[in-house]
Amino acid sequence: MIVQIKGKPEFIQIQWVPRYTTMERVVHWFHTATFTLLAITGMMLFFPFLQPLAQGQAGITFRLIHRVAAVIFGLVPIIYLIIQPRRFLMHIKEFLPKKEDIGWLKAVPAYYLMGKHEAMPPQGRFNAGEKLNGLITIIAWLVFGITGLPMWFGKGVIPPELFRWLVIFHDLAMIVSVSMFLVHFYLAVAHPLMWGALVNMRFGVTSVEYLAEHHTKWFYGPKRAMEIWEAKKRESVH
Amino acid sequence: MARLAMLIDTSQCVACRGCQVACKQWNDRQGWLYSRTRNRGSYENPPDLSPHTWTRIKFTEYEGPDGFRWLFLKEGCMHCGDPACVAVCPTGALKQHPRGLVTYERELCNGCGYCAQFCPFHIPRLEVVNPLTGEAKSSKCTFCQDRVTNGLLPACVKTCPARALDFGDRDEMIAKGQARVEALKARGYTQANLYGVDQVGGLGRLYVLIAPPEAYGLPAKPEYPALVSVWQKVVQPLGGAAIGATILGILGAFFLARRNIRMEEVK
Repeated sequence: MIVQIKGKPEFIQIQWVPRYTTMERVVHWFHTATFTLLAITGMMLFFPFLQPLAQGQAGITFRLIHRVAAVIFGLVPIIYLIIQPRRFLMHIKEFLPKKEDIGWLKAVPAYYLMGKHEAMPPQGRFNAGEKLNGLITIIAWLVFGITGLPMWFGKGVIPPELFRWLVIFHDLAMIVSVSMFLVHFYLAVAHPLMWGALVNMRFGVTSVEYLAEHHTKWFYGPKRAMEIWEAKKRESVH
Repeated sequence: MARLAMLIDTSQCVACRGCQVACKQWNDRQGWLYSRTRNRGSYENPPDLSPHTWTRIKFTEYEGPDGFRWLFLKEGCMHCGDPACVAVCPTGALKQHPRGLVTYERELCNGCGYCAQFCPFHIPRLEVVNPLTGEAKSSKCTFCQDRVTNGLLPACVKTCPARALDFGDRDEMIAKGQARVEALKARGYTQANLYGVDQVGGLGRLYVLIAPPEAYGLPAKPEYPALVSVWQKVVQPLGGAAIGATILGILGAFFLARRNIRMEEVK
């Protein structure tokens, strides 16, 4: 694709490479929409300063929205599993942490705060941060479901002592996942180096340049990626 | 202002259930919604508290040291000194009145049901409109807040023909209750005791019992649920701090990154 940047005379050519499948994007955006709704409506029962929103008819309506969103939130990954079971399992495997992910963790301040490109070891289709995000999302989805369904249907059936624990764990899952959601949102929308992230997830494709820079290992393969990284590091020393 | 309390002398109660009727009449509660009268093999009726039955006489067949007898317990909200329901209520529908009544404002309630799940005595009941949508309203005894704050006695106390119920200044009620326990002991009710003096911050409902509390189905040591404190004192501030710190951290990271990464360098 040949594009011209506004106000600049030259044309540049962008080569697009597929990064996400349609299914992945649909699941991602359904999850985003329902998660946001769930977090907002759920926090009303959690933070005392949101008390006015929880009161009376407004509270009843928000509780209903929470339930409608919860059904979609719960079903979407299950539909994914039914339609593309192999892809789904591959995905979970992709998110599992590996030893080399520590390298990403060590490089976080230098790369994300200082913008030192050479600090970041080559990453796969998902970098270690994206993997962590994916893993926590899956765990939180499970915790929300396991604790939320009995709170919905188990009132008066399950012992109150159990219900109280469910409330606590539902809240803890919320705190972890909302904090992570905020970081995820920031990296996708505002971080200067991640200019491609939102485009990737919207259209499913990414440019060759972005891939070569951010997902070197996936683009070049592990061996070649390491060579490129070593060269980059040597260059920055001089 | 001094706390108010109800003194319930179970040794005087004849289980006429006049209190149940007076309560429904004054508070506009329906008689039959949750419990159609039918023979359940006991004179007890209705079988349980419900959103429309804020108080009822519980019948217990008790085999004590003096042989078989019936125990009558007037159930209802205990109006705890440390009400867990008030602590967990996210809407402020449940409040503690300066004089110790645990009051309920129906319009504010959104039906979440936390009060029912965190009450150490399992008192508040949900009036469920639709279990799927969760539309509901909580419901419980308010000690007739409208009457009491206007100088009247609660409806149940006013109507009790056996004078088993009394209402007034809590210290006075405790003194009366203790005197009654002594009198009962002197008459041979060796197991007589006063229940509610210091449980859960001191109950607003004091019982003169003629058998151990467990015989009535009352918890001997009711406890303010520890998880209420965990939730309110740990998880809630932790959540606020974590999410707040994340937002601040992101803002800081954004400005730092923007300063260090010039857009021109970015491919």
